[in-house]
Amino acid sequence: MIMSGSSTPKSLPTSGQKSLHDIKHPLSCSPGTEEDAAGVDEPLIIDTPSPDLVPTEPSSTADKDLSLPNGTPADTSSPASSSSLLNRLQLDDDLDGETRDLFVTVDDPKKHVCTMETYITYRVMTKTTRTEFDLPEYSVRRRYQDFDWLRNKLEDTQPTHFIPPLPEKFVVKGVVDRFSEEFVETRRKALDKFLKRIADHPVLSFNEHFNIFLTAKDLNSHKKQGLTLLSKMGESVRYVTSGYKLRARPLEFSAITEYLDTFALKLGTIDRIAQRIIKEEVEYLVELREYGPIYSTWSGLEGELSEPLEGVSACVGNCSTALEELTEDMTEDFLPVLREYILYSESMKNVLKRRDQTQAEYEAKLEAAAIKREERSGVPTEVEKCQDKVECFNADLKADMERWQNNKRQDFRHLLTGMADKNIQYYEKCLTAWESIIPLLQEKQESK
Amino acid sequence: MESAGSLGPEAAETPGTGPETGVIQPEEGDTLQETDTWMMEAGDGEAENEGERRAGTGSDEDSLLMKLEISVSEAEKRTGKNAVNMQETYTAYLIETRSLEPPAEGQSSPLDALWRRYSEFELLRGYLSVSYPFMVVPPLPEKRAEFVWHKLSADNMDPDFVERRRIGLENFLMRVASHPVLCHDELFHAFLTQESGWKEVVSEAGLQMKTDSRLKALNATFRVRNPDKRFTELKHYSDELQSVISHLLRVRARVADRLYGVYKVHGNYGRVFSEWSAIEKEMGDGLQSAGHHMDVYASSIDDILEEEEHYADQLKEYLFYAEALRAVCRKHELMQYDLEMSALDLASKKQQSEELATGTVRTFSLKGVTSKLFGQETPEQREAKLKLLEEQIEEGEEQLKVRNVESREFVKNAWLEIERFKEQKNRDLKEALISYAVMQISMCKKGIQVWTNAKECFSKM
Repeated sequence: MIMSGSSTPKSLPTSGQKSLHDIKHPLSCSPGTEEDAAGVDEPLIIDTPSPDLVPTEPSSTADKDLSLPNGTPADTSSPASSSSLLNRLQLDDDLDGETRDLFVTVDDPKKHVCTMETYITYRVMTKTTRTEFDLPEYSVRRRYQDFDWLRNKLEDTQPTHFIPPLPEKFVVKGVVDRFSEEFVETRRKALDKFLKRIADHPVLSFNEHFNIFLTAKDLNSHKKQGLTLLSKMGESVRYVTSGYKLRARPLEFSAITEYLDTFALKLGTIDRIAQRIIKEEVEYLVELREYGPIYSTWSGLEGELSEPLEGVSACVGNCSTALEELTEDMTEDFLPVLREYILYSESMKNVLKRRDQTQAEYEAKLEAAAIKREERSGVPTEVEKCQDKVECFNADLKADMERWQNNKRQDFRHLLTGMADKNIQYYEKCLTAWESIIPLLQEKQESK
Repeated sequence: MESAGSLGPEAAETPGTGPETGVIQPEEGDTLQETDTWMMEAGDGEAENEGERRAGTGSDEDSLLMKLEISVSEAEKRTGKNAVNMQETYTAYLIETRSLEPPAEGQSSPLDALWRRYSEFELLRGYLSVSYPFMVVPPLPEKRAEFVWHKLSADNMDPDFVERRRIGLENFLMRVASHPVLCHDELFHAFLTQESGWKEVVSEAGLQMKTDSRLKALNATFRVRNPDKRFTELKHYSDELQSVISHLLRVRARVADRLYGVYKVHGNYGRVFSEWSAIEKEMGDGLQSAGHHMDVYASSIDDILEEEEHYADQLKEYLFYAEALRAVCRKHELMQYDLEMSALDLASKKQQSEELATGTVRTFSLKGVTSKLFGQETPEQREAKLKLLEEQIEEGEEQLKVRNVESREFVKNAWLEIERFKEQKNRDLKEALISYAVMQISMCKKGIQVWTNAKECFSKM
C-alpha cells in the first residue's frame, strides 16, 4: 500500500484531505537548538514516552481526578508537566466502569532496506489477562500496511462500529521525508493511538483479526485469506449514493451526520489556524535568531554598555529556544490529534452512510413485502432479519457515538489545556529570562 | 566621569564658547552682533557664568532646565502658503515655557507659549551644529517614519506619528536645554520664547555659514594628511554604531511584524471556538469563553507593539546621535585641513622668499619661466616683492599659530564633550534597555494571564 501510494502522488489533490498532507513538519527545516541543554531535554521526554506508562496508570476514576489538578497553573512549572499532554492523551481511553485487561503499545520503529523497497516496522507489544489470548504477553513487528490490513478487516467484520482512523497513508514525495525521525515518530504515535482505541473498545477488542494482528508470528499467511471480501462494501455504499431517499431516517442519526459535518469543518479550520500559527512562530523565530546576535555585535563596540547588551542578546536567545520548544510541542502533540479526529469523523460518516444503506435495504424489502402481502399474509422472515439488522446497527452506533463523544471530550480537554500549558510555560521561560537581566542592568547603573 | 574636575579649569580658560568665538568662521561676527542686540533680554546674565557652568559638564544642576520648564504640549495640523505660493499642509507644535526662577513680585511667572514647525526645529539644529562645531548636537526625531513595521503608518500626518514626533521634539528641546553649553545659547532661548523674527535672524546668521562650512568639510574629507587617531577612531565608532543600530531597528521591525502575526492568528481561534461551541453540549461553555480569551490575546498585541515603538524611538535617537558624532569628526577634519593648508602655504611662501633672496630656483616654476622670457626684474621690484613676501610670511606664521591654538582648543573641547556624551549615552541606553526588558516582562505576564484564563475554561470542558 505504501508503495502504490508513493508511486501515485498525483492522486492526492482529489482526496479532499489535501491540507493534511501539506507541511507536515513545519519545523523539519528550521534550525536546531543544540546550544541549550535544557531545550533539548524536554522534547526528549515527549519523544520517548515510557511504554509502561499506560498499563501502570490507575483506572478511569483516578485518571479523571488526575486531570483536574492539572487544570491549575500550579503544576505548570514542574519538569514532568511538559510530557503531561502526551500522558493525558494516552490515558484518555478509559471509560467509566470499564476495567482494562488489554494493553497495547507501539514503539521501537526500525528501518528495513530491501532490494525491492524500504519500509519501517514498529514493535507491537501486548499485555493481557484475557482468556482469548494464549499468552499474557506478545511482541510482534508490524509495518504500516499491516495496520491497514487490520483496519480493513475491522471495517469488513464490524460494519456497525466506528473504526478508529489510521494516520494518512499517502505522503507527498519530496515534501515529507517518510523516513525522517519526526515523521516516523508522529506516525508511531498515531498507530499507537489507533491500537489503543481498539484495545479499549468493548467490541472491537474481541475481534479475531485484532487478535491475529497482535499475536501472529507470520501475518502474511493470514493476510492472503479472504481478499475477496474487500470489494463487497464498495458496492453497497454505491447503492446508497444512487439517491435512494430514506422514508423514515431517525432524527438522531441525521443530527449525528450534521454534527460530524460541522465538527470536521471546525476542526479543519482549527487545524489550519494551528498550522498558520506554527508557521508564523517559525518565521518569528527566524527573525529572533537574527535579532539577538545584533546586540552581541553592538556589545563589541561598547565598554560600559557591553555587558547589558550581551545580557539582552542572551535573553533573546533564551526566548528563541523557548519558542522553538513551543512550536515543536505544538507540531508534535497538537496537530496529530486534530488530524486523527478529522479522519475519525470522515470514517464515522461512512459508517453512518452504511447505516442508511442498511435501513434503505430494509425499507425496500418491507415495501416489496407490502405489495406481496395482498397475496400472502405475514411479514417474511427475510424482512424481519433486515429489521433486526437495522436495529442492531442503530444500537451499536448509538453506543459507539456515546463512547466517542466521551473520548472526544476528554481528548480535547486535554489537548486544549495542554496547548494553554505550553503557552504558559513559554511565557514563563521568557519571563524568567527577562527578569534575570534586570538586576544586571540596574546593578551596573548603581555601581557607577 | 572622574575627569570632570581636572578638565574644569581647562575649560574655563576658554572664555565665551558662544557663537561669538567662532573658531572656524571669524567673519561671522557681523551678523551675530545683530543677534546680540536683538537678544539682549534673554541673553543677559548668562554669559558671565559660562566658564563655570561648562566645568560642570554632564551634570544637570546648572542647566537651563533648572530655570525653565519646557514642553512641547500640542501638535496641530495647519495649511498655508509656502515660499512659492503653493498650498501646503504641515504640523505645528506648541512650545510652552515657564520660568522657574523665583519671581520678583512673588507671583508665579506666566506661561509662555508659541508655535513652531518642524522646519524651524531643523533650522535651530543646523544653527547649533554650525555654531558649536565641537559639540555633539542632539538630533531631531526622524522627519519621515523609518524602520516601522508594516502595520504602522508611514504617513507624516498620521496622528500616531505626529504624537511620537511631538515627544521626540520635546525630547530634543530637553536635550539642548540640559546640555551644559548649548543651553546657554541665546538664539535657543529666542527659539523658545520669541515667536516672530527669530527665523529671519537665524537664517541670516546660520545659513550662510552652514553652506560654507559644509562644502569645506566635504572637500576636506580626503585631503587631511595627518588625521588625529582619536578622531579617526571616533569616526569609525560612529559608523559602526550607526550600522549596528540601523540593523537592529530593521530586524526589530520584522520581529514586531512576526509577533503581530502570531498574536493575530490566535484571534481566529476566538471565532472558530465560538462556532464550534454551538454544536457541543458539555464542552460548549468552556469553548465559548476560551474563545473570548483568545480574542483578548489577539488584541493585546496592539498595545504591546505601540509601547515597543517608544523603545525603537530611543534607539533611533542614538542612531541619529551617531551622525552628530560624525559631524564633530568631520569638523575636526576641516580644522585639521585648514591648519595643514596654512602650514603648506607658509612653507611655499618661505621657499619663494628664499628663492628671491638667493636668486636660485630650486623647482621649476611659472615665475622662473616668465623671468626668463621677460628678462630680469629690477632690484627695486625684487625688493618690493621680497618685502611683501616677508609680510605674508609673518602673517602666515601668525595665522598658523592661531590655527594651532584653535585646533588644540577644538580637540580639547570636543573631547570633553565626547566624554560627556559617552556618559549620557551609557546612562540613556541602559535605561532604554531596562524599560525594554520591563516591557517584555509585562508582555510575558499578560501572556501567562490570558493563557491561564483560557486553560481554566478548557479544563472545565
